[in-house]
Amino acid sequence: MAKRYLILEDGSAYAGEGFGAGATTSGEVISNLNLLGYQETITDQIYHNQIIIFAQPAIGNVGINHDSYESILPTAKGMVVRDVTNISTNRLSRLSLDEFLQQHNIPGISGIDTRHLIRKLRKMDGPVKGSIVDVADAHAFDQLNATVLTNRQVDQVATPKPYPNPDTGKNVVVIDFGLKHGILRQLSERRCNVTVLPWTASAQDVLNLDPDGVLLSTGPGSPLDLGEGVLEMIRAVQAEIPLFAIGLGHELFALANGAKLEALPVEYHGSSHPIRRIITNDIIYATQGQGYAVSAKTIDRDRLITTYVDLINGTVQGLRHRDYPAFSVQFFADGAPGPHESRDLFDEFMEAMTARREG
Amino acid sequence: MAKVVVDAMAMQRALTRITYEIIERNKGVDDLVILGIKTRGVYLARRIASRLQQLENVTVPVGDLDITSYRDDIEHDAATDPTVSAANINFSVAGKKVILVDDVLYTGRTIRAAMSAVMDLGRPKSINLAVLVDRGHRELPIRADFVGKNIPSSQRERIKVSVSEIDDRDAVEIQQA
Repeated sequence: MAKRYLILEDGSAYAGEGFGAGATTSGEVISNLNLLGYQETITDQIYHNQIIIFAQPAIGNVGINHDSYESILPTAKGMVVRDVTNISTNRLSRLSLDEFLQQHNIPGISGIDTRHLIRKLRKMDGPVKGSIVDVADAHAFDQLNATVLTNRQVDQVATPKPYPNPDTGKNVVVIDFGLKHGILRQLSERRCNVTVLPWTASAQDVLNLDPDGVLLSTGPGSPLDLGEGVLEMIRAVQAEIPLFAIGLGHELFALANGAKLEALPVEYHGSSHPIRRIITNDIIYATQGQGYAVSAKTIDRDRLITTYVDLINGTVQGLRHRDYPAFSVQFFADGAPGPHESRDLFDEFMEAMTARREG
Repeated sequence: MAKVVVDAMAMQRALTRITYEIIERNKGVDDLVILGIKTRGVYLARRIASRLQQLENVTVPVGDLDITSYRDDIEHDAATDPTVSAANINFSVAGKKVILVDDVLYTGRTIRAAMSAVMDLGRPKSINLAVLVDRGHRELPIRADFVGKNIPSSQRERIKVSVSEIDDRDAVEIQQA
């Protein structure tokens, strides 16, 4: 394999072996601490335009299968790993990770001490830009420093047109901010007749479909870049129809109800934080991926109830509206990848829809 | 033959949803009191109260109501209506928003008697009814405000609610007669 480099905007360069595509790419460098689920991670649109460093040292050992895609066209900018394992004996495996990355023109680099790198990144301020390049020379650093990170991620990955995912059960409208397929999979398992709408849909567009429930999806980037229109839509819809929001959707739900966000000192992507479910005072684990968190002190307690809290960093992980059956979680309740124990939030959503129709 | 229609997880979710709906409907927990109808309604009432405590950090008073004559969801004796009496209620219900909690809503006769028992204690601001299961077959004009699950049933069937406090598990089962 060819020698390649990961270079960072602070001028550092890390030599490794290339795998996957031979492309030269740049993007924000983020750390993923999950032990499992590299396929879900690399295909999740929240990693649009990002270079993902994996703390788990052996990546690729279950290949790529049909069941773990979180998007059709992954748009991550690269994978940085300690060891890449291109031998898979997993019965579900259809492709090797290497072949998959080649198909999607995503470069990988192995032989990097990723845990050391992740510790270093934690000490650096704000988003860190990096590139995967063939030669770490002055030209490569010039190119990297000239790279401007986009703030139009949602527009770039979310659907521009409505589409259906038909079934015979409850009518659910999913607002797509760059959704992960896990959300659609959970709704399909519950026989929901889904219509996916672009994130620019108005409240009237949603209400015209007379849905039993509305789900605001996960997505990449900052919710602050999406403007006021989507917040107005959320305020109008939550008053009429049961609403469930996840990830970026949760952040928007909080903004729509008067709370503010704070950028985390370091983005957190992992599944090892215990999360307290306040109402029953028990602990769950879930895959989390967030650069922002709802600022607890800005929550208007007359409008929102805090329902889940991260016990490691203290961040708000779930909210519920006081007046409406509208609730949200920061973590990925679809459990793709990661612990499945929060999947019953989808059952909660189903039961909220049933209660509304029967009540 | 018994069929589980609500498992432990679903029962937890139903009580969680009912708790949130109580907050939604009452705009908070001010002046709430919760009265559980014996036997299993008492445990459900306590679970709802503990959820409210977790969420709002407020202790909502919980009391019990005792049914003396018969359980109308088990045996049906058309000759006598149930009588319900207050037990373990060491607070006033006058001016309060009372939430009655029972496991199964069936003919409505127990609830009617429970309402009379509450009225005997004082004049509440309102009475709401929360039930884990509504199985239909009402004989009185009574409906629940908060329902865990609607289970349309035949009158020959028996709905059995188990709660982990006194039974071996949390479940709702339908048993064919």
